[in-house]
Amino acid sequence: MQKYIKTLMWVLLFTFALTFKVNAQSLTDINDLIEKAKEYDGEDVTIQGEVIGESMKRGNYSWININDGTNAIGIWLDSDIAEGILSYGHYKSKGDTVKITGIFNRACKEHGGEADLHSSSFEIVKNGYEVKEQISPVKIIIAVILTLFALVLMLILVKVIKNRRL
Amino acid sequence: MISSKHRQNGIEIISYYTGYIVLIVASLMTIPIITSLLFLEWNPMLDFIISDAIAFILGILLIMYGMRSKESKHDMQWKHGFVIASLSWIVLTVLCAIPYMLSGHTLSFVDACFDVMSGFTTTGLSLTQDLDHVSIGLNMWRHILTFIGGQGMVVLTLTFLGKEMGGAFKMYVGEGKDIELVPNVKGTARQIWKISMIYLIIGTSVLWIVGMSIGLKPVSAFLHALFIFASSWSTGGFAPNSQNIMYYHSIMFETVAMVIFILGSLNFGIHYAIWQGKRKEIVKNIEIQSFLVTSFVACILVLAGLAKLNVYPDAVAGFRRVIFNVISAHTTTGFGSIYARQFALEWGDFGILIMVVVMLIGGSACSTAGGFKGLRVGIVFKGLIMDVKKLLLTERSMNVYKYHHIKDRVLDDTVIKSSAIIIICYIVTFATGTILGTFYGYPISASAFESASVTGNVGLSIGITTSSMPTVMKLFYIIAMYLGRLEFLSVFALIGYFLGGVKKACKNILKH
Repeated sequence: MQKYIKTLMWVLLFTFALTFKVNAQSLTDINDLIEKAKEYDGEDVTIQGEVIGESMKRGNYSWININDGTNAIGIWLDSDIAEGILSYGHYKSKGDTVKITGIFNRACKEHGGEADLHSSSFEIVKNGYEVKEQISPVKIIIAVILTLFALVLMLILVKVIKNRRL
Repeated sequence: MISSKHRQNGIEIISYYTGYIVLIVASLMTIPIITSLLFLEWNPMLDFIISDAIAFILGILLIMYGMRSKESKHDMQWKHGFVIASLSWIVLTVLCAIPYMLSGHTLSFVDACFDVMSGFTTTGLSLTQDLDHVSIGLNMWRHILTFIGGQGMVVLTLTFLGKEMGGAFKMYVGEGKDIELVPNVKGTARQIWKISMIYLIIGTSVLWIVGMSIGLKPVSAFLHALFIFASSWSTGGFAPNSQNIMYYHSIMFETVAMVIFILGSLNFGIHYAIWQGKRKEIVKNIEIQSFLVTSFVACILVLAGLAKLNVYPDAVAGFRRVIFNVISAHTTTGFGSIYARQFALEWGDFGILIMVVVMLIGGSACSTAGGFKGLRVGIVFKGLIMDVKKLLLTERSMNVYKYHHIKDRVLDDTVIKSSAIIIICYIVTFATGTILGTFYGYPISASAFESASVTGNVGLSIGITTSSMPTVMKLFYIIAMYLGRLEFLSVFALIGYFLGGVKKACKNILKH
């Protein structure tokens, strides 16, 4: 019995010890950053989301925009790191999912009062991919039928107008 | 008997001209079709082909139904002009919402109609989902809607179909425009488009260059430039990404956009006068004077209010955020360089109050801007001064009071009264929207902010406008945007016409 109790205590001890170590890198929603901007201002935070649009290089640093599904925010990071991003989210592609840690600024002094995040650590969690369009045959048929009908009506209208002028 | 025949003729006239307006706007869908084709976006291309065909079919059927009125050469009356303008906006809103719905980026047809009405009225609020993954074709359509909405659908139709559009001036006035740049209204419509197209070329070119200089790729920079120009010039506020103007992280891009939306908020008459060499108009015009005074006072007040709350770390940040957002609100553009929720959480009640006031005032009459317009504010203010002066002068003295708008005009009670009535209509709509917002549990300041934004066709949001807001509020906001843009009278004419028809139908049923 004593053996079992000892084993259980060791297990609990390890479990708690591990829990304390993991605590440092919890993810924050971008919307939370905006809602509790004063609380997070100047703090180190970690966000995770999809890179959207494209990067905008400004010398040694670049801007990228991240959308985590709750909101989107601008990230100020080293241009060399930005070059490592392979896929940006738009209509035809899903952007890389990245995890970024950095200082959140409610009204950044360096960037004219913008709410942004200055990256200190960057990691691509999941690679983006090309989104292939699924075209429904029903849609094609409807488009063809409606276009033909509209063309026939147009021809009738033109004829009626011409007859009226004669 | 004669009355019912008249009514039938009236319906045919309305149907005939509405059909033409639908046809012209529907033909614009070829632009997103070509765009989708160029960027190999097959689904959006099919969506637009389907929508275009439906719009064409309806337009042709309306023309055919109303053709008899053209043959019998019945004159268009004022009420017909007003009803055509207001009805065509409703019909087009429904038709233009089809590609939104087919794209799968809106949760309901009401949401799709909301976005189209927001575009047409140059409001700029959006319920489109996942904006960052919207196709280039649909983005092109969103910005075309806001661009033609700024000029007006009737104005667009008059530009292309001069000969077919008898009674053009009545429809033109029905769309909330009254300026005559040249003696005939068709020529005026063409001048309005000429002015807009010249600015389109210049504005897009400048934004394209700036876009490339801030790191956008050439093709992408061109598209962003075109979209942001369309939104700025029409004082719309749509942007191709969910972060709106914040996507670019550039003071240069914001400044160019700001210059364009200030120009867009000015009366077409002022643009035309300046192009005709009448440069003094800039100093003398009552609308420019009114805009300069109200925007300067508003910026100072908001800056003072935010400085008291220590919202921004330094003057540069404060000026950049405050001036852009206040001018964006005042010109009824609705580009936001801060997050919607930051207005509510950081700007405080005083900042929100000032924003509400400038959003309601809006830009110039007969421009792309909304609100109750600087001209009306100037007239009512001058009318107040006139009344005070009259009280102080002896009863025998007879003074003529004037104001300058393109030319010197006499300030009489009729002008003051008509301006005051429109201002009252705006305030009633704004108050109703505020009450409705509070009814659904939103704070009063947030409700007032959002209500002012929709009534004034601004497009800034404090966070209320989302797809999860109550449907009744969505519907009210659609109506408020519509009323605000057409300046009430046309919509009242449409309601009156419709109710008149219902009343007569009921009487006939009772007789039988």
